[in-house]
Amino acid sequence: MCLYRFPRRLHYPNECRPDEMIMPSPEALADDSHARELARRLRRILPLVFGGLLALMIVAAIVSLYSLRQLDEIARQAQQRFAAHSQAISSIVVLVDVYDNQMDRYLFQRKNAALTATVSDVVTRGTAIHNAVLNYPADMDPEEKNLLNQIEQKILEQEKSFNTVSTWRSDEREKRAQQLMRDEIIPCRTHILQVSRDITTMNTRRFGEATQSLAMQFRAAQTRLVSMVALALVAGLLLSIVGGFYILRLEQQGRLRYRALVHSRQELEALSARLVEAQEEERRSISRELHDEVGQTLGALLVDLGQLSKLVSFDDGLVQGQISRIKSAAETAVKSIRDIALLLRPPMLDDLGLVPALEWQGREVSRRGNMEVEVHSEHVSEQLPDEVKVCVYRLVQEALNNAATHAEAKNAKVSVVQTADKIIVEIADDGRGFDPQRMRGMGILGMEERVRRLGGSLTIQSVPGKGATVKAELPIRTAPPH
Amino acid sequence: MRKTRILLADDHKLMRRGLKALIEQQPDLTVVGEADDGRQAVALATSLKPDLLVMDIGMPNLNGIEAAHQITQANPGTAIVILSMHSDESYVLRALKAGAKGYLLKDSAESDLIRAVHAVAGGKSFFSPAVSKVLLDDYVRKLQRSGAEDAYDLLTPREREILQLIAEGKSNKDVANLLNLSVYTVETHRSNIMEKLNLHGVPELILYAVRKGVIS
Repeated sequence: MCLYRFPRRLHYPNECRPDEMIMPSPEALADDSHARELARRLRRILPLVFGGLLALMIVAAIVSLYSLRQLDEIARQAQQRFAAHSQAISSIVVLVDVYDNQMDRYLFQRKNAALTATVSDVVTRGTAIHNAVLNYPADMDPEEKNLLNQIEQKILEQEKSFNTVSTWRSDEREKRAQQLMRDEIIPCRTHILQVSRDITTMNTRRFGEATQSLAMQFRAAQTRLVSMVALALVAGLLLSIVGGFYILRLEQQGRLRYRALVHSRQELEALSARLVEAQEEERRSISRELHDEVGQTLGALLVDLGQLSKLVSFDDGLVQGQISRIKSAAETAVKSIRDIALLLRPPMLDDLGLVPALEWQGREVSRRGNMEVEVHSEHVSEQLPDEVKVCVYRLVQEALNNAATHAEAKNAKVSVVQTADKIIVEIADDGRGFDPQRMRGMGILGMEERVRRLGGSLTIQSVPGKGATVKAELPIRTAPPH
Repeated sequence: MRKTRILLADDHKLMRRGLKALIEQQPDLTVVGEADDGRQAVALATSLKPDLLVMDIGMPNLNGIEAAHQITQANPGTAIVILSMHSDESYVLRALKAGAKGYLLKDSAESDLIRAVHAVAGGKSFFSPAVSKVLLDDYVRKLQRSGAEDAYDLLTPREREILQLIAEGKSNKDVANLLNLSVYTVETHRSNIMEKLNLHGVPELILYAVRKGVIS
């Protein structure tokens, strides 16, 4: 079952006056096109700005990540270098110590065999020092190399001295060992230790320098990151301000347009209401004019013709025939004028009230077609406002017309019931029916318009093949005017 | 011989002139006044107390039906013939309810006016033949389409007789006298008739009688 309900009007635009019909002014149109141009530009710019902001943030993140990794690498390298160099110089120092120890054992041959050393012991230890120097990390700087060369030099000097010593006999060795030790070995060794300390100091200093530079680089990276974040923040802030303004503007425009739309809709409704009113008024005046003036004059003419025919002798067939032709012409004219007047505005509405007019209409439809109309009414006042009477009358007229002509109904029931605050009209037929959601003829639109004008609601209920029911509820707001 | 005093009420001077001419041709009728709207008709009916009022329905200020109402209340002695362009039941029934005794169509005013005036002045009712025809046609068509039975067939001959007398304007007492019955019996017949025909009140009964051609 299809049920179609039309919204009940909540407000009725009495405030719309005919002289303020809306047509957008040229300024408004220009303003509108300007606004549209602006909106187009903004639509182009916004993605760019958003993209830029996003790119900025991505670049900042990548750069920060990269520099952090770089710094980490540098720190690791500096630490490795420091560790390698420290270890290398320590092992050289240890080896030098071992060498000197062996030398000492060789020079002062002691009774304990474990505390003596042979020539080869000493030579081997010397070679070990050379190897250690050779194995010193290659990434040394010239100063370090220079110091290392000094150590090498001293070792070579010691080895040279030892070569001489090794050729000595044991007595000679015993005799000169002390002196050799004092004059050559010990100063040489002291020198080596001094140089190795220098190297260690230098390494430590280098490490400190590297750490310091690292800290500086870290600070630089930090600064870079902070500035980028700040830039992104500022850009984002700007963007959100611009976007906010744009949204506000759009919202305002939307509101204005909505208001204009509502206004123009109200105007339209008021206009169509006035059209309906004007049409009704026009019909009423034409109907009155036809009925009262033309119709009555013809009626009087008929009376006069009757008089005339009595004045003329019945034997005068020529004149009597003429009179009877004039009479029948006048009667035809009276009849057609009455029909036209009735169609335009049934005088019953004014003479007798709504219910008799509806009953008349029902009989009129029954007389003219194949549909029998039954009219039922309850508590309907004879003093209804004219607009309500006309609305109900036209509604019933339209619905009955639809039922008889389009739906080919055999029976129709009209019911009018008045309650405390409204009038309920229902027209039900047993015709073909239709789908009210698809079929919206001018007739239905006209009914809707009339009902909406009075702040009522119209429901059309129909199923194809099962008849149709048109139901309207009209509020009776004001007391009858008289 | 006392002439029947007639008041004319129509907002069209031409129409009044024509009607007056018709009436004045009769030796026993005279037009004592003319009103051109409903209010004036009420005022003149009160002051002139005519025997008969021939009145149009569609008039300014106060229409004929309303005026008839007021005049029947205030001057029961004035019989009313309604002059109308409409032959529809709505009009006839309203005119009867307003107290009119005759209902005359303007189309046939020229030929029927004098008959109507004489009938109503003589205490009977009068309806233009065209009105009876329309009422009957509507009635017959409705019966045919609905397949219902004509309730008139349910009436006994005595009831039909009483129906006619009441429709002609006779009171229960008149009917009782005419038919040699008690008033109580007439009342019983009358309520039986109303029930069988599904009628409410004398105007509807008269309308029914007109429709059936029981009275004219």
